[in-house]
Amino acid sequence: MTNLTISRRNFLKMSGAAVGALVVGQMLPAPIAKAAQEAGLLDENMTGYVTSMCEMCVWRCGLRAKIVEGRVVKLDGNPDHPHSRGKLCPRGQSGLMNTYDPDRVLTPLIRVGKRGEGKFRPASWDEALDLVASKMMAIKEKYGSEAMVFSSTHNLSQLQFENLLNAFGSPNYGTQRSLCFNAMIVGNLMTYGMEEPARDYSDTEYIILTGRNLVEAVSTSETGDLMAAIHRGAKMVYLDPRFTRTASKADLWLPIRPGTDLAFHLALLHVIIEEKLYDHDFVANHTVGFDKLVATVAPYTPEWAAAITELKATDIETVAREFAAAGNKALAHNGWRTSNFENSFQTARAIASLNALVGNWGTTLLPASGGHGGGALGLPPQPPYPRASATRLDGVPWKYPLVPFKLGVFQELRNAIISGKPYQAHGWFISRQNPVQSLPDRTRTLEAMGKMDFIVTVDIFLNDTAWFSDVVLPEASYLERYDPLHQIGNRVFIRQPVIEPQGDAKSALWIYKQLGERLGLGDYFQYIDEEDFIRQQLAPVGASLEELRKKGYLDLEEHEGEVDLFHWNTSSGKVELFSDVLDGAGFAPTAAWQEPPMPENGRFYLLTGKIAQHTQFATQNNQLLHKYQDEPRLWMNPKAAENLRLADNDIVRVTSDVGEVNIALNVTEAIRPDCVYMTPGFGHISKGFTTGYGVGASDSVLHVTYTDPISGGQALSQTFVTVQGI
Amino acid sequence: MQKKIIDELRDMPKFVYVLAMLVAFGGAVGIYRLYAGLGATTNLSKAYPWGIWISFDLSTVALSGGAFTLAALVYVFHMHNLHAAVRPTVLAGLLGYTSVLIILFMDLGRWDRAYHFLIYPNLNSALFEVSWCIALYSSILVYELSPVLLQNTKWKGAIPVLEKYTVPMVIAGVSLSTLHQSSLGTLFIVMSARLHPLWHSMLLPIFFLISSLASGLALIIAGATVSRWVFKRSLPQKLIAKLGWFLPWILGVYLVLKLGELEVTDELHYLFTSGKYSVLFISELVFGMIIPIIMFSRKEVRHSRNASMIGAFFVMAGVVLNRFNASWFAIQPLQGVEAYKPHWMEVAILVGVASGVFLAYTLIGRYFPLFDETIKIDEPKHAPKLIAATE
Amino acid sequence: MSTHTTNGKYGFLIDVTHCIDCRACNVACSVQNEVSMDSTRIWMNGTGVVGKYPDLQSFTAPFHCMHCNDPSCASACTVGALTRDHDGIVRYDEDRCIGCRYCIYACPFQVPNMDLNETMPLIVKCDMCGDRLDEGEQPACAATCPPGAIQFGRREDMLAEANRLINENPGKYIHHIYGEHENGGTSTFYISPVPFEELGFPIPGATSSAYYNRLVTHGTPAVFGAAAVSLSGIYLTIKNVQEETAEEARAAVIRSAQAAESARAAERAAATEEEA
Ligand SMILES: Nc1nc2c(c(=O)[nH]1)N[C@H]1C(S)=C(S)[C@@H](COP(=O)(O)OP(=O)(O)OC[C@H]3O[C@@H](n4cnc5c(=O)[nH]c(N)nc54)[C@H](O)[C@@H]3O)O[C@H]1N2
Ligand SMILES: Nc1nc2c(c(=O)[nH]1)N[C@H]1C(S)=C(S)[C@@H](COP(=O)(O)OP(=O)(O)OC[C@H]3O[C@@H](n4cnc5c(=O)[nH]c(N)nc54)[C@H](O)[C@@H]3O)O[C@H]1N2
Ligand code: SF4
Ligand code: SF4
Ligand code: SF4
Ligand code: SF4
Ligand code: SF4
Ligand SMILES: [Mo]
Repeated sequence: MTNLTISRRNFLKMSGAAVGALVVGQMLPAPIAKAAQEAGLLDENMTGYVTSMCEMCVWRCGLRAKIVEGRVVKLDGNPDHPHSRGKLCPRGQSGLMNTYDPDRVLTPLIRVGKRGEGKFRPASWDEALDLVASKMMAIKEKYGSEAMVFSSTHNLSQLQFENLLNAFGSPNYGTQRSLCFNAMIVGNLMTYGMEEPARDYSDTEYIILTGRNLVEAVSTSETGDLMAAIHRGAKMVYLDPRFTRTASKADLWLPIRPGTDLAFHLALLHVIIEEKLYDHDFVANHTVGFDKLVATVAPYTPEWAAAITELKATDIETVAREFAAAGNKALAHNGWRTSNFENSFQTARAIASLNALVGNWGTTLLPASGGHGGGALGLPPQPPYPRASATRLDGVPWKYPLVPFKLGVFQELRNAIISGKPYQAHGWFISRQNPVQSLPDRTRTLEAMGKMDFIVTVDIFLNDTAWFSDVVLPEASYLERYDPLHQIGNRVFIRQPVIEPQGDAKSALWIYKQLGERLGLGDYFQYIDEEDFIRQQLAPVGASLEELRKKGYLDLEEHEGEVDLFHWNTSSGKVELFSDVLDGAGFAPTAAWQEPPMPENGRFYLLTGKIAQHTQFATQNNQLLHKYQDEPRLWMNPKAAENLRLADNDIVRVTSDVGEVNIALNVTEAIRPDCVYMTPGFGHISKGFTTGYGVGASDSVLHVTYTDPISGGQALSQTFVTVQGI
Repeated sequence: MQKKIIDELRDMPKFVYVLAMLVAFGGAVGIYRLYAGLGATTNLSKAYPWGIWISFDLSTVALSGGAFTLAALVYVFHMHNLHAAVRPTVLAGLLGYTSVLIILFMDLGRWDRAYHFLIYPNLNSALFEVSWCIALYSSILVYELSPVLLQNTKWKGAIPVLEKYTVPMVIAGVSLSTLHQSSLGTLFIVMSARLHPLWHSMLLPIFFLISSLASGLALIIAGATVSRWVFKRSLPQKLIAKLGWFLPWILGVYLVLKLGELEVTDELHYLFTSGKYSVLFISELVFGMIIPIIMFSRKEVRHSRNASMIGAFFVMAGVVLNRFNASWFAIQPLQGVEAYKPHWMEVAILVGVASGVFLAYTLIGRYFPLFDETIKIDEPKHAPKLIAATE
Repeated sequence: MSTHTTNGKYGFLIDVTHCIDCRACNVACSVQNEVSMDSTRIWMNGTGVVGKYPDLQSFTAPFHCMHCNDPSCASACTVGALTRDHDGIVRYDEDRCIGCRYCIYACPFQVPNMDLNETMPLIVKCDMCGDRLDEGEQPACAATCPPGAIQFGRREDMLAEANRLINENPGKYIHHIYGEHENGGTSTFYISPVPFEELGFPIPGATSSAYYNRLVTHGTPAVFGAAAVSLSGIYLTIKNVQEETAEEARAAVIRSAQAAESARAAERAAATEEEA
């Protein structure tokens, strides 16, 4: 399977070789190392520790890199960082292997063969950037700015990516959000007027996790907090059709029928209201529409929900009573990747309402703190953006009135590229994203790419998306570059290079600025280099970059202004159990039942979900993670396997309405008999992955595109498949 | 000269060529093994770090026990009428130990550091003891064999001097053998977690020592008959019968100790409850002990060449099975790990080394005065050109 | 069981109820110690998913060298490449090892590993991240464990904490601190809600196999001496007996010859007399 593995002896050697090659190749003094030496981080042998931030996922744990002679040899969690507290998850631990991956793209690439053939030639930055700028300009001139689609996934330099696309004037921006948490975010906006209230586990006594596999989809500090709460004796109820590691830590695992979490939560609301177990004060003083909720949930008895969810009515009653009894020490997790069914928005609303009924605001649920780059920090000066040249392809807001611009509906954007309606897009600029895998229905995504005159991808690997691109721009890895600062609460954290960029890789800050200048948008990129960008960010708070580099973070002065904990940014200023906005848009104004589709006989729900050893579609080539992952197979309950006369490890064909894949079978009790499960991120098309290529199969091939009309979320569990032996 | 060599080669029995080819092939694979590493050439693993090579080594050492047993009988116990068997047996022993050393070398992950066992002692280690003993004892065997090798050379004047010290050397050799034969058993004491309780015992060193005496004697008995086929030389049956007489006693003690130990440690129940392991253990008892005890207790058997040879094979098979059990078959599996099966290259190297032993034995038998004191059995059609015989 | 060894200075406490099977500890160890991609110093053991849907259970725990008080591996190692240092850390000297793999079989916990795909392989075994300890840091696995399932500290503190957790949480753990007595006591302790054999842990006895090994190997010089002396004795006795018998035989021959001679002489004398 793995033909290029790094052995014990050359683990270090090869990283050394890469650095050596760089020094010879560039014929320049190593500026970053020199700066690090000057900053007192490294000694004269280029040995020492540098603090920075992990970017193996979006949680951004603080890290401390150990550098020996210019090579990073170990990453540890930064004890001072609130997201890591000295710890890193397996992906964070493996980070240096991503950086030293022999498959890294280290020079700009220009396609020479046919799209998808994977033939590229190396090019200089000047040539590659000139080419990208000229193609973008050509498209703009011929079809207008809107014909250029931009897409990118959550990252620190996204600020400047968005700057580029806004300055360019395109309204078409695709992010991972509609594939991820749109339901939760819109649900919270409609209820609390904020995207995602923060969760505090320090005082929790009772936790409900709804399809939030927090033990495997790790966020180092939050996963740690949850485990600490459990250790302390807090009860945890977990809803998932699969027996995940989170289920194994739960006091009560409820193997709910997919798509019916809404019924479960409505029944909880029913019991709590019926039995008057809610926090009367909070409901009376801080919510609107309670009476409407009472009326809506009246029919949703535990018995009703039991029939739908295939859980026991007594379990539902017990959970309702225990949850309410824990009062403000109860927490119904608002979820993360909540886009499972078209009714997921209603589920998010029900969960938000449930939290409001027990009045946990201010104890286990809190206003979210901080964002990136915002707050007191500054930014380089820039002119205002031009008006967007057209309406958005993804239908926001003309088709999806309640989806915030920022979230968008990526899968609909993709569909509009194919249909050419309301207009035809011609170019696609992708950064730090792998839509070939993350979007549902891979065939359609490739079809959309086929419609493009020009595709450029910024990545550190030749990922599946880059494989189909015309130009690939190699970004320096997160250990090799600066990014804009990150603020959490009153603390500002820095990502800084801990080693020289290998080969010709460059930071996104540099790439976007170079492109901006070539596109005649230089005014939007008024910084000399990365350090200058950060200095401008720091200017208003009067802090020095050097100080920040040394400590890895900086405490800003507390804002004295009183924040009213009990004022919400909704139209009523209260927690909205009933929403006028929803009502106005013609949607159910209170959380209400919405029947999810069910697979007909012989078909299975296809489930997807993270594993602790990988991030999305990005790390499967990491040799360390590859070594410690389980073999990606299709989970199936023994009962179902017996019916189909299939045995463990059989190779099976999985077929949905849009695609089919072959994969080995994992017969396990850990899943409902009507479901199968695949780990996302395998089955890469790109042969640019030596370790990851040929491992497992891709569930994106199978996913059918279904969009929730309220939140725009892609319903990722709403795909049904058949399984047969081959 | 050239012609003489060609004639000589032509005169060689066919199987010598077969052996030579096997040696060459095994040698080539062996060199590849040293170059490519253990992973590429063996099926050894973390779960089964030792394989057929170690089992072979243990068996060979046990069989080569004939050399020290006989030396003890002849020199220490003054049974000089057995003297005729000394040279062939010592040679067999020496070749046996040489093959053991070669295979051990093959087996070392870091063969480049083979000499480390000489310079980094761990006095607690049974393997350290074994290594040292085998090295020393092999030197003594060379010493014991040297008269055969020197007899027809210009250094033959040294022989009387060498022979003067034969007895002290033999005593040292026998003592070293006692030590390493038993230490090979000790090897497994620390492996209590993996070796099945039917075999694991604090008496392992004693078991190994006693069984090596039995298999050594058996090798002499069987060897005498085999050499009759190959070299048309053998020992008088009277002597063979005399050796055979010891066997029931030795095997009897072995049997009683083995079962007694199980009884004392309350492990006798494993005898019938351990499935595959029970079968292996009972096979050792029945074929390696009970049957030969019965056979060699009978005078007719001891005085029949063929019958005593068959009996001797039972004994050897029993001991070899014991060594394979201790080091391979009775090593308990680890969860989820497939049992070890040797890689073809492991076998090829082994066959090469074993062929080398037979080849060397044949050639030395052909050109050196190995069977001086043995008797000629029925005139062969093509008389082997025993140089020594022309004296 | 007099294994006459002392307790180590440091210890681990691993709480099975707390481990989430994320394997950060495995990855951390691989990086810290530059362990190859094909073998490891630390791995996961576990029950697997047990039970029938929907009554399921699953527990996991990382496993690495226990750092035995009386390490079997060290007593086995041919060349003394494995040794226990004054802090109780069982260390490996990779410059000494000859790759015989005896330690792999000797360790009752199946700890020593070897990457046989290496052409010149070495043993792979946890050394408690000695280098990190020297720098005042926690071992890599313990330092990174996201839920804190691996604790590291002074051995006696870890043991006390294990006892405290068991006593203060009745019903949560079984009453057994794995590693406290196994193989003569170790520096790694586990507490678990399920019996350790269900987690796939090896179950060695309370006396280290090293102790039994020593009982025998320490007798070696004596065995050698006894063998040499008794063999010499036998040789000399038989030789003397044979020489004496031979002497006697010769004397008897001489005597009878003399007798015959004198008889003959007498005869001759008689004959001469008769003639005379
Ligand atoms: N290790 C790791 N951690 C990560 C990530 C990663 O890639 N790897 N990614 C990060 C990101 S971007 C996100 S969004 C989060 C996502 O983290 P989570 O929100 O936990 O999302 P998933 O892991 O995608 O899915 C969670 C579970 O939902 C279950 N599920 C599917 N359909 C249904 C349903 O209808 N009802 C219920 N109750 N359950 C259902 C699946 O079986 C799965 O176990 O993780 C973050 N953390
Ligand atoms: N089938 C299925 N589909 C899903 C999900 C699922 O669980 N199953 N999950 C959904 C969720 S929750 C999300 S958030 C989305 C995520 O979807 P995406 O954002 O498309 O996926 P990622 O794998 O996060 O893509 C990250 C890309 O960034 C690259 N990269 C890594 N480091 C760097 C860097 O430093 N610089 C640059 N420029 N690139 C870098 C990686 O190589 C990778 O190609 O997918 C969604 N889609
Ligand atoms: S959760 Fe893991 S991958 Fe994500 S930032 Fe933290 S250490 Fe890195
Ligand atoms: S666990 Fe095994 S390797 Fe570790 S010290 Fe004990 S015997 Fe040695
Ligand atoms: S493999 Fe190395 S460490 Fe293990 S016993 Fe042999 S020499 Fe010692
Ligand atoms: S202590 Fe160090 S060497 Fe041992 S398992 Fe943990 S990380 Fe690996
Ligand atoms: S890091 Fe901690 S939680 Fe993760 S597998 Fe290791 S011990 Fe378990
Ligand atoms: Mo996500």
